[in-house]
Amino acid sequence: MKTRHLVIALLAFIGMIDALFLSIKRNAGPIPCHVTHGCSDVLTSKYSEVLGIPLSWFGLAFYVTVLSLAIFKLFEDPERPYEAPSKLIFYLSGAGLIVSALLVGIQAFILKAYCEYCLLSAALVLTIFLVCPHPGRPAKRTLPE
Amino acid sequence: MQEFFSKNFRMRRERCATIVAMSKAIKPIVVIILVIAVGAGAAVFLSRQSDEPPAADAAAFGLQLEAGTGHFRGPEKAEITLVEFGDYQCPSCGAYHPFVKEILNRYPTQVRFEFHHFPLVSIHPNAMAAHKAAEAAGEQGHYWEMHDALFDYQAQWSNKPDPKPVFAAIANQIGINGAILVQSMDNPKFQERILKDVQAGDKAFVQAVPTFFINRQPVHPRMGVQDFIDLIEANLKKK
Repeated sequence: MKTRHLVIALLAFIGMIDALFLSIKRNAGPIPCHVTHGCSDVLTSKYSEVLGIPLSWFGLAFYVTVLSLAIFKLFEDPERPYEAPSKLIFYLSGAGLIVSALLVGIQAFILKAYCEYCLLSAALVLTIFLVCPHPGRPAKRTLPE
Repeated sequence: MQEFFSKNFRMRRERCATIVAMSKAIKPIVVIILVIAVGAGAAVFLSRQSDEPPAADAAAFGLQLEAGTGHFRGPEKAEITLVEFGDYQCPSCGAYHPFVKEILNRYPTQVRFEFHHFPLVSIHPNAMAAHKAAEAAGEQGHYWEMHDALFDYQAQWSNKPDPKPVFAAIANQIGINGAILVQSMDNPKFQERILKDVQAGDKAFVQAVPTFFINRQPVHPRMGVQDFIDLIEANLKKK
């Protein structure tokens, strides 16, 4: 259980840097791509913001929340484990996965340009979702008799 | 008496439990704050670092431009030279186009604008054709009219499997013969000229479009005309 949350914390940490990097870069001119082509097209398109708020800010909020929850879980008392953080991470990353799939779809079919930072974020959300314990099937726990 | 002591003891025990619980909660909070601070520092460091390569090569870039590449509008010798490496099919170049025009209207005698071809052919399948069409229009003496029209009507030809009929229609609209333009645009000399611009861009470490330079210095205007104006005013004051 601890290992899973350590992995989630690490992934969320990388995601947080990614999202913050994009938030800073958005106001500082063209964003260079190293692996893909068309970062500027993606990040300046009309799909890059919702109600005037850049998507990277939502990403930043998501990763900071997941990171905090995972760290709380890491520091829990083994005798009285917290249930909420795992559940929240599961539902948040599930919602994040749907949003990410939508954004990758927009890149592939509408913009026909890819932004490596956005693809990295989608991969991170997917991994967090897969690593996070499923609330339907709670992990085995030895209860004191 | 005994009751008083036992009550006092319970209260103390509860207070201790609260303190223990608080100290347990403080640990992860401190860790969270530290981790976020480290992450924020890393993001700021990375975002600054990726700005450096073009700035470092700005001087070398200036030398590359002497080769007679690109097209210019405005006075031949001006206090400010605004250079754009752009792609006619790129939506963000289209978004910046009105800002550039606004600058040229505002500073007709102080700003010389140079446009250099930088089509990203791997993601913009019609870009090369559009740049060739602009060159072909240039041969008929209407480069800038075609340049403006390609950006203005970008949405109409960007996703067409064959954009040539749209280019012909645009050409007819700006007063040149569309049929001749479409016939002549595949002349290899146009492609050569475009590729020369792309090479100059590569040497200047152009990694994204549009990339702007003001007086040979790479600039990062935000998405607004006021940022361009501020940058130009700052450069005019330097003189």
